[in-house]
Amino acid sequence: MVWTVYQIYRKVTTMLTRRFFGAIVMLFVLVLAGNAGAKEQIQKYFNDTALKVQVTDDPAEKREIINESLQKMMTALDRVHSSPLVSKEDGDGIDQYKTVLQEKQDELLGNNGFERVPDSQLNAFSVYVVQSMEQADRTITISLVTLLLLVIILILIL
Amino acid sequence: MQTWWGLCGSIGSVALGLFLISCSSIPSAQRESSHEEEGVPPPRYSIIFIIHGDGNYLYHDSDGNANRADQKTLDAARRVAARNREAEVFIFHQKPTKRTLFFFPRRDGKMYYYRHGQSYAEESYRRHRGETRFDPEIKLYHQFRTKEKSQPLRIFLYYGHEIPEFDGTGYDASHSHRSFTIHNLADGLHRFTHDFTRFDLLVLSTCFNGTPYSISALSPYARTIVASPDNLHLSYFALEPFEWLDIRLRDGEMPEFANNFARQSFEQLKEDIHTTITVAVYDVDRVKGYVHAVDSVYIQALDTLKREKPRFFDFIDCAEDSVYVMSGMSEGVDIFYRPPRFGRSQNKVNHSGWGCRVFHY
Repeated sequence: MVWTVYQIYRKVTTMLTRRFFGAIVMLFVLVLAGNAGAKEQIQKYFNDTALKVQVTDDPAEKREIINESLQKMMTALDRVHSSPLVSKEDGDGIDQYKTVLQEKQDELLGNNGFERVPDSQLNAFSVYVVQSMEQADRTITISLVTLLLLVIILILIL
Repeated sequence: MQTWWGLCGSIGSVALGLFLISCSSIPSAQRESSHEEEGVPPPRYSIIFIIHGDGNYLYHDSDGNANRADQKTLDAARRVAARNREAEVFIFHQKPTKRTLFFFPRRDGKMYYYRHGQSYAEESYRRHRGETRFDPEIKLYHQFRTKEKSQPLRIFLYYGHEIPEFDGTGYDASHSHRSFTIHNLADGLHRFTHDFTRFDLLVLSTCFNGTPYSISALSPYARTIVASPDNLHLSYFALEPFEWLDIRLRDGEMPEFANNFARQSFEQLKEDIHTTITVAVYDVDRVKGYVHAVDSVYIQALDTLKREKPRFFDFIDCAEDSVYVMSGMSEGVDIFYRPPRFGRSQNKVNHSGWGCRVFHY
C-alpha cells in the first residue's frame, strides 16, 4: 500500500490530536484526583516499565527498556523545569528527583563509578527502581501543578 | 411553571436532606457498650490501631500488582482483632474525605471495635471534629472501652506515612491546611493513657520516625517502641505476630515479643523489598541517655530552619554524622538491617538504629 503525502499528514495530525485531547482529559481527571492521583500516574509509569522488563528475555533489550524509561522521565523533568509555571521550590524538588533517576541510570549502565548491573539482576533492578521511586515521591516535595505538568508531558513524549 | 417550581422544590429538599445527613452528628451505627459482662473475664490485651489512609498509599508489589496500603492494613488489623479472644481491639481507619454532590463532606473516619474476638461495634465519624488531632478517636475509645479495673497489656500501633517532626501541613490530602506532627501524636497518646501510665508497646509503621527527636517526644507514653529509622516500604510491618497473642505473649514479656515482631517483619520485608530495610526496637528507658544528649543539637538545627529555608533535606544513619555520633549510642536499641540491593549504600554493613535529618542549604 502506497501512502500519499496527504494521507501521512492526516495520520500524523489525527494521532497528535488524539494525544492532545487524551492529555486534556487526563489533566481533568488528575485535577479531580489531586496530588495523590498525579503521583499514582508516575508510580504506574515505573511499574509498567518493570512489567515490560519481566516479560522480555533478552538482557540487552531489558537494559534498553529500563534506560529508555529513565531517560524519558528525565527529559520530561527537564521540560517541566524550564516552564515559567514552576516555582523555585519545585525546581529544587525536580533537581532532587532527577538526581535520584540519574543515579539509577548510571548504575544500570555502569557510569560514574558504579558497577554495571549484571544481566541476571535486571528484573530485580527494575523492581528496585519502582520501589525506590515510590519512596522518593514521599520525601521529595513537588506541587500539584508541577506534577500535573510532568504527567502531561510524559504522556505527550511517550 | 408550577411543574418547574415543583421540580426546584424537590431538588432543594433532596439537597437540604443530604446536607442535614452529612452534617448530622448522629452516629451511623451505634451499639451501647455494656461494660460489665457476667462470666466474661476482662481483656488481657488492649490494642489500638490508627491506620492513616488520607494520602497516596498506593504501592506495587514485586509482581506489579497495585495495592492500597491502608486497606491491606485494615484487613490485617481486623484479622488480629478477630483472632484474639482475650483482647479488646480498637481500629480507627482515617480515610480521604469524599463529598456528596461535590459539596457535602461525608464521614471520613471509621472505628471498628472488637471484644473477645467478636465485632462489637462499628462507627463512622468525622475526623476533624474537635480541637485537637485525635479528639474523635479518643472520645470513641473512652465511650467503648471496658472499664474494669484490670491491667491489660496495652499496645498502640500507628500505620501511615512519616509523622513530621515540624510543620506537618499537608499530611492529610483532604485537609492540606491541617497540620500533624509527632507532638500531636504524643498529645493523643497522653489522652489515650489518662488512666494508666504508659503503653507497653508502641509501633510506628512509618518511614523515618526512628529518630532521637521522635523517640524523645513519645518516650513519656511508651515502654518499648518499634520504628524504622530509614525508609519503610508501604507493605509495612507484618501484623501476623499480633494474631493469637494468648499464645505468643503468654508470659507477658513485651520486650521479647517486640523483638520477635520486629524480626518477623524484617524477614517478611526481605522477601520482596530491594530498598533498605531497617526495623529498630527501642527500650525507651535505656535509650534516654543518648536521646537527651543529642536533643539540643537537633533543636538548634530546627531553630536555624526557622530563619533559613533549606534547599532540601535527607536522612542518614546518625552514626555517619559527627554531630550525632556517640559511643554507646546503640545501647537499648535492637536493629534489624539490610542494605539496599542496589545503589550507593549497598555495601553499608551496619546501622546504628538511629536516623538523623540533615538539612542542605
